[in-house]
Amino acid sequence: MIRKRLPALTLAATLFSSSVALADDVSIGAVFPLSGPNASYGDVFMSGANLAAKHANEDHMLSGDLNVLYEDSQALPQHGVIAMNKLVNVEEVPYVLSAFTGVSKAISTLAQRSETVAVNGGGVGPDLAALGEYFWNVIPLANNEVGAASKYLVEELGLKRVTLIYVDDPLGAGILNELEKTLEPLGGELVEAHSITPSAQQFSGVAARVRSSNPDAVYIASYGAQQLQIVKQLRDNGVDQQIISYSAFSLPSLQALPEAKGALYTTQSIDWDSTDPVTKRFVDDYRAANGKTPTSYVANYYNAVRVFALLAKELEAQGKDVTGENLLAQRKATDKFELVGGSVSFQDNGTLLAPIQVLEVTGGAGEIKKVYAED
Amino acid sequence: MLLLQLILNGLQVGAIYALTAAGFSLIFGSTKIFHFAHGATFTIAAYLFHYALTNLGLHWTLGVAMAAGGAVLFGILLDRFMYAPIQRHEGSFFTVFVASFGIGIVVENVIGMVFGRSFISVSTSLSRSVELLPDLYVSPLVGLAVLTSLVCFVAVHMFLMHTHAGMALRALSENTELVKTFGLSPRRLSAYAFALGSVLVVPAAIFTASSSGLNPAVGHHVMLISLAATIVGGIGSIRGAAFAGLLIGMVENVALWQVGTQWSEALTFAVLFFFIIFRPSGFFGRAAVS
Repeated sequence: MIRKRLPALTLAATLFSSSVALADDVSIGAVFPLSGPNASYGDVFMSGANLAAKHANEDHMLSGDLNVLYEDSQALPQHGVIAMNKLVNVEEVPYVLSAFTGVSKAISTLAQRSETVAVNGGGVGPDLAALGEYFWNVIPLANNEVGAASKYLVEELGLKRVTLIYVDDPLGAGILNELEKTLEPLGGELVEAHSITPSAQQFSGVAARVRSSNPDAVYIASYGAQQLQIVKQLRDNGVDQQIISYSAFSLPSLQALPEAKGALYTTQSIDWDSTDPVTKRFVDDYRAANGKTPTSYVANYYNAVRVFALLAKELEAQGKDVTGENLLAQRKATDKFELVGGSVSFQDNGTLLAPIQVLEVTGGAGEIKKVYAED
Repeated sequence: MLLLQLILNGLQVGAIYALTAAGFSLIFGSTKIFHFAHGATFTIAAYLFHYALTNLGLHWTLGVAMAAGGAVLFGILLDRFMYAPIQRHEGSFFTVFVASFGIGIVVENVIGMVFGRSFISVSTSLSRSVELLPDLYVSPLVGLAVLTSLVCFVAVHMFLMHTHAGMALRALSENTELVKTFGLSPRRLSAYAFALGSVLVVPAAIFTASSSGLNPAVGHHVMLISLAATIVGGIGSIRGAAFAGLLIGMVENVALWQVGTQWSEALTFAVLFFFIIFRPSGFFGRAAVS
């Protein structure tokens, strides 16, 4: 009799034990580009999120293991919404990492409706600060970055006439708006703005137009493979003016592009040699695993996961459920977070403020030219 | 001077489009297979060329041979092991299209896994423009692209008009049953069409790798342009596809003289709609009655 029932008992025991293990695990979601022309960003973002989850699990911050469930957005809003729907309705995660301005805006309504916290660490469109209280940003937005870039061009380099090449999406429109706002008060001028579609790959014609307007500097507001194609084709087609961009230029493949050497870009300022324990552990472990210094994107997604771990730990200590609503309330009740880069706090709109640095592409890690304090 | 610059840019882009469109048109015209994975052939050839030069350090001629070999092999294998079984089971045009579309996605992902998913390009001084006249920049690649296209089209024309295999291929596009009556194998001719059509994308892939760079999704754009050029040129007409590819490249660039940069891609499709409405048979296509 026992022999007959043994398989059934074994199966029941296995199912029971696995359900117990799953109940202890804590899962959060991530909507990243894992395929398509922007997939290389997904790799970078994942490296930061995975490292933070590993550290949280090593430190036993939560009652169970922290897992990150990844879904592919291809950096496209419609794919992002499908991915977000799955994470919220099927996986029922309370916290989702988001990237890219268009995707972030698309998923924000579902985040708000389902009371799921969505945290952006990659998109920098200025309007990401106004997507509701369940949408947070652990990255300074383009208004901070573009302001610093305009100041550096006009005040430090004396380059006043700027041409913009921008991708026709919410990020590009946001940067156009910020350049128009920030250049003029400084005595600069936006000479021309060339809009391009996200799928465009040929830029020799755009280069001819840029040359004919003869600006002092060219601001590129694109991302992924396209921004590298723009840089290469501008240089190949005789555009020798100063190129400048935002944090998307911190992508390793762009740093290694010979044509990009000398280009300027802005990111949030993080001192990689800092001795504060969180930053030091992050940098040391990242270098040990990857053999290179992390970029700000890696730090952002590390911070995004760490914010969750800190909030969830506190909720568990109080005996509360880890839900989106409780996470939001706990974030509002927390003054400071110890994250990579130092001790920071969220603004009321859910966005972190950080100092901005201007860097030059040198072929390796960028060389810091100037740091502007947060305003 | 801006207009002249844009015309020269259009010539280079148009020459690349013409080669890819002619390859697609040759395959579609001869075999009636909607080979959507033609863009994948382009991607494979470009990545193999890059790999041969950058990773293996081979001479560029060996890189070209490797790219051509890979493209031809991919085309023939696809025809033999995917399209032929579908046709044997009398799969519809739509079945073939979906299968080919799926292969394109598989290739994109495999290339991403093998070669990485970020942007790559072949570093060459040939892509760097020099100032010929005041504010007129031309890179040696422009001349090379146009010259290579001309050589390829003359070679294809000679092959189709003056060799038995070429004549048989033309016959295949006209009447498959008659080809069988003459003792020829449509299957073998189909393999010829795939080999020739695939090899035509190789120069275009190499010039693209050197001038604008690559990512695993680069084939989508190629396929879109090939499709538009095939319709504008007249379905089944290689000469038409080549002219249409050139026209699309020119329109895409010369349009920037007067309109904003965001309209350049849209104008490509405006040309396509113009032909669909006013000349549905295309440049050199024949009007058909069903």
